[in-house]
Amino acid sequence: MARKHGTPPKVPSRPPAPPAAGPSFWQRNRRELTFLVLFVVLLGGSFSLIALNWVNDHAVEPFTAAVARLSGATLNFFGQHVVMRGTVIQGHRFAVNIRNGCNGIEAMLIFLSAVLAFPASWKSKLLGLALGTAAIQVVNLVRVIALYLTGVYFPKLFDASHTVIWQSLVILVGVLLWIYWANRFASRREPAT
Amino acid sequence: MAGDPSQPSADWTRLLIRNTLLWIAPVALVWYLLTPLYNRMLLRTAQSLLHLGEHPVVTDLYPKDNHDAYIARRDLPKRLLPGGAFRVTDLHFHFLLLGALFLGVPAVSWRDRLGNLGWAALATACFDVLLVVAYVEFFYATQMGSWSTAHYGAFARNFYGLGKHLLDLPFKLALPLVLWAAFYLPRMLAEVRPAAHPPATR
Repeated sequence: MARKHGTPPKVPSRPPAPPAAGPSFWQRNRRELTFLVLFVVLLGGSFSLIALNWVNDHAVEPFTAAVARLSGATLNFFGQHVVMRGTVIQGHRFAVNIRNGCNGIEAMLIFLSAVLAFPASWKSKLLGLALGTAAIQVVNLVRVIALYLTGVYFPKLFDASHTVIWQSLVILVGVLLWIYWANRFASRREPAT
Repeated sequence: MAGDPSQPSADWTRLLIRNTLLWIAPVALVWYLLTPLYNRMLLRTAQSLLHLGEHPVVTDLYPKDNHDAYIARRDLPKRLLPGGAFRVTDLHFHFLLLGALFLGVPAVSWRDRLGNLGWAALATACFDVLLVVAYVEFFYATQMGSWSTAHYGAFARNFYGLGKHLLDLPFKLALPLVLWAAFYLPRMLAEVRPAAHPPATR
């Protein structure tokens, strides 16, 4: 069919279509932002909980005393001859009182908050929590024993070792365990939800 | 990291953990050397921030050697407050974790690594200033006996007590992880789902 020459046919004019809108900042970063907000909320909530006197007296103190007993038993196994009184490990030359900050609970709660906030299946989370908290407590046991021995044999190094070195190491172990868990277990077992 | 495309996340994690552990000692050395300077900067900035909320200005923070500080009040007969000494260095050892985590990330250019570390360090320094301010307010509200109860109500004492507890323990200790996640979580999530993203190469 031939087209007649002359004025071009009229095409109904339309306003130009707006450029296709990309995903918003929230849509692009939904999983990351959800993780960060949930992590901070869980962290603040769990630490507020252990700050309550009742929780401290009925959960934190007995747990800390158990850490002291286990640490004392391990020190006795290595011939240190210590006695345990509540949260105190007493030897002939040195004594340590295990208090909040030295019982591994802080690292456990940071790890727990990060695992719960991460997008993964509940099965992976439970597995991570069980293995991770156990590993953190093993490292904390090493910390208490090492600190006692530092106090006995290198007392000048005790303060720095207590506050800076071991606290950093225990938290670092918790963080690295979480990264390991998030990459291995959370990805392999089931797809993230 | 190359080869088996089903294993990228394992390699990325292994490299991250190895690098982070290797970076701890050099970062600790730099942190230790810079600590005296950083402590003075921290005290000076926190004191200025405290002065913004005081009429008249009463708080002074005096450095004591390289690691400790005194809290002093100009309106009290004993300016150096009993029990008002605190260890400034203990407030910011989270820089060890921060530096090691940010420098240990594999498959990221040095320029990006250092740039991200710079922003994270700036955020951490702001947090540390707030922590010193919170510590001083906590001390005023809860540690000065009858003076505290006369000047701070029950709500304020609980507010500063819980605030100092939360800032000094969970948020101080978790801040490196929060900042690391803010910068690198997308990359880690990409590694978690290797099929959807190309694997990292180093």
